[in-house]
Amino acid sequence: MIALGFDTPDIFWLAPLAAAPLAFSPLRIRKTAAIAAVPEDRLSAAIAVVLRIAGCAAIAALLVGVAGPYRTGALVDHIGEGAEIVFLIDRSASMNENFAGRAPSGDEQSKARAATQVLRDFVAGPRKDLAGVVGFSTSPMLVVPITDRREAIQAAFAAAARPGLDHTNIGRGLAMALAMFRADESGRSRALVLVSDGAAVIDPHLQTDLRADFKKAGVRLYWLFLRTEGNARLHDIPESGADTPQAAPERHLDLFFQSLGQPYRAFEAESPEQVHAAVEQIDRLERRPVLFTEIAPRQDLSTPVFTLAVLAILVLTLAKLAEIPAPVRRGGAS
Amino acid sequence: MTRANWRDPRLGLLILALALTLAALSGVQTVIRRAVYDVVIIVDITGSMNTRDATLAGRPASRLDFVKAVLRESLASLPCASRVALGVFSERRPFLLFEPVEICGNGAPVAGTLDALDWRMAWEGDSHVAAGLYRSIEMARDATADLMFFTDGQEAPPLPLSGPPAFDGRIGDVHGLIVGVGGYELSPIPKYDDSGREIGFQGVNDVPHENRSGGPPPDAEQREGYDPRNAPFGSRAMVGSEHLSSVREPYLKSLAETTGLRYVHLETADALSRAYRAAAHPRALDAALDLRPACAAIAALMLLALYILPPLLSRLSANRARRAERLRAPSPKPERKAA
Repeated sequence: MIALGFDTPDIFWLAPLAAAPLAFSPLRIRKTAAIAAVPEDRLSAAIAVVLRIAGCAAIAALLVGVAGPYRTGALVDHIGEGAEIVFLIDRSASMNENFAGRAPSGDEQSKARAATQVLRDFVAGPRKDLAGVVGFSTSPMLVVPITDRREAIQAAFAAAARPGLDHTNIGRGLAMALAMFRADESGRSRALVLVSDGAAVIDPHLQTDLRADFKKAGVRLYWLFLRTEGNARLHDIPESGADTPQAAPERHLDLFFQSLGQPYRAFEAESPEQVHAAVEQIDRLERRPVLFTEIAPRQDLSTPVFTLAVLAILVLTLAKLAEIPAPVRRGGAS
Repeated sequence: MTRANWRDPRLGLLILALALTLAALSGVQTVIRRAVYDVVIIVDITGSMNTRDATLAGRPASRLDFVKAVLRESLASLPCASRVALGVFSERRPFLLFEPVEICGNGAPVAGTLDALDWRMAWEGDSHVAAGLYRSIEMARDATADLMFFTDGQEAPPLPLSGPPAFDGRIGDVHGLIVGVGGYELSPIPKYDDSGREIGFQGVNDVPHENRSGGPPPDAEQREGYDPRNAPFGSRAMVGSEHLSSVREPYLKSLAETTGLRYVHLETADALSRAYRAAAHPRALDAALDLRPACAAIAALMLLALYILPPLLSRLSANRARRAERLRAPSPKPERKAA
């Protein structure tokens, strides 16, 4: 749909003024004793009509120009690649340490900065995602609702590199992230990307709810596990007796995710480079064709309008220049 | 024989109008300085902000909901290219949700985040307002932005006798507002259980009414069970009105004074925007100003003058001339009367 628009349409209240040339003439009115004295002249009549039209056109075109005409950008459908992604980001204090578990020094990056830097690049790329961000620590926080505005998502990632809070309440974070996916209207494939450097025991009641939520949302789950040096790997099986959710929360969270019956992949990253590689892989896996709509930039229509005005005024000016000067009245003193 | 009459003012008007229209056609513009704003907004989400002593659309609303509604409207009135960051305050520090983003392009997600602010986001129940404010000021300074800090000013636990911690920032580094939220009358504070369900109101025994860190008050010796070593605050817990809440305006005003911010009580979006603009430190932004509409408007006025004025003037002068003639040659009627 192509439609016309105006910056200040109120100007058109003045539109009747464009009819002024029909009533008045800027040419000198020549007083003639008897109109019958002038022979009827088709050319003169035509010129008179042309001049009136030029006058009306000039004023009308200028008014339209003042109103600022444009053609509204049409909605254009494109096909791109992307998905509907919610990023669930751990904001516990340990995320501000580096991969060795110490405060970053020199040009070292904290886990939070390393991860969010890579994610910012991911969002800045050519992908056409709808994305949202949830943070979690002691409690979950909705940071940015699902949106196509990349700048807002990047601002959220940037803020996630700031000092974090206390705990890692992963269960409630997952619940909030899943709640972000509303009843499906976009038809996009959905992914949940969990970025954390640890895990915590999820309350059994909440586990049951989460299972149902995961099934309902139909999301693919990615866990970007930022493993700190010396911590257990996801697949390390602790010696018998120590294999409890409390002693090995990461391994048990991994087991819980595997038991969901939804597509799931875990990535263990121990350095910024590995984070980069993992996100690249998610990028590859989450490429589905998506239909997205963009508004084409609006098109300014002032130029043709002003061109018309210039031509019309030019005609009027030429007519004025061609005017025969009034005869000097002689002895006409009153 | 045609010869232009250059002395005719109408020709001059036509040529000027032509020149202005040509200028409009060429796309003239100028650069103007515009004021845009960068602001870090921190909203107190501690328990007392759940107090329902505000009114939204004729219904009682919690302070937090009131802040969200007013702020939403107020943000929409910021000029484009202004940047907004949003964070929450609880315990003793602000927590930034997102860094400053341009408000016009990101209005929808910003409003969505604002709507989702909830006391359940709080990571701890304490509310050290002064400490949180000071760190928010630091945060705004590092972001070279103004600050808007929304709070009811209720310290929980109450401040020790020595008062709020000292402000170690510099006055004038950060401009902005402390926005007092809440009514002036004491109202009960809703209470929630562990799973977030409301279970009535805070009772008098649910909250401490006195801060026992620091020195005891001077009247402690008169208290029941006072013992200088074992019970310097007396043996009974103080009972006060900390379980009820109203906006602590004198306290917030004193904080505004120490930090160089301005204090305003939250009423309407208009009032908030006005107060903010008065207190803010705007950023100058060069923006192109399209002069085409102005040129076209002047040209149109000239053409209208060309068409409407001379005939009107000549008609007027003709009328005047006719009247003058009539006066000079008196009409026959009075003549007859005189005769």
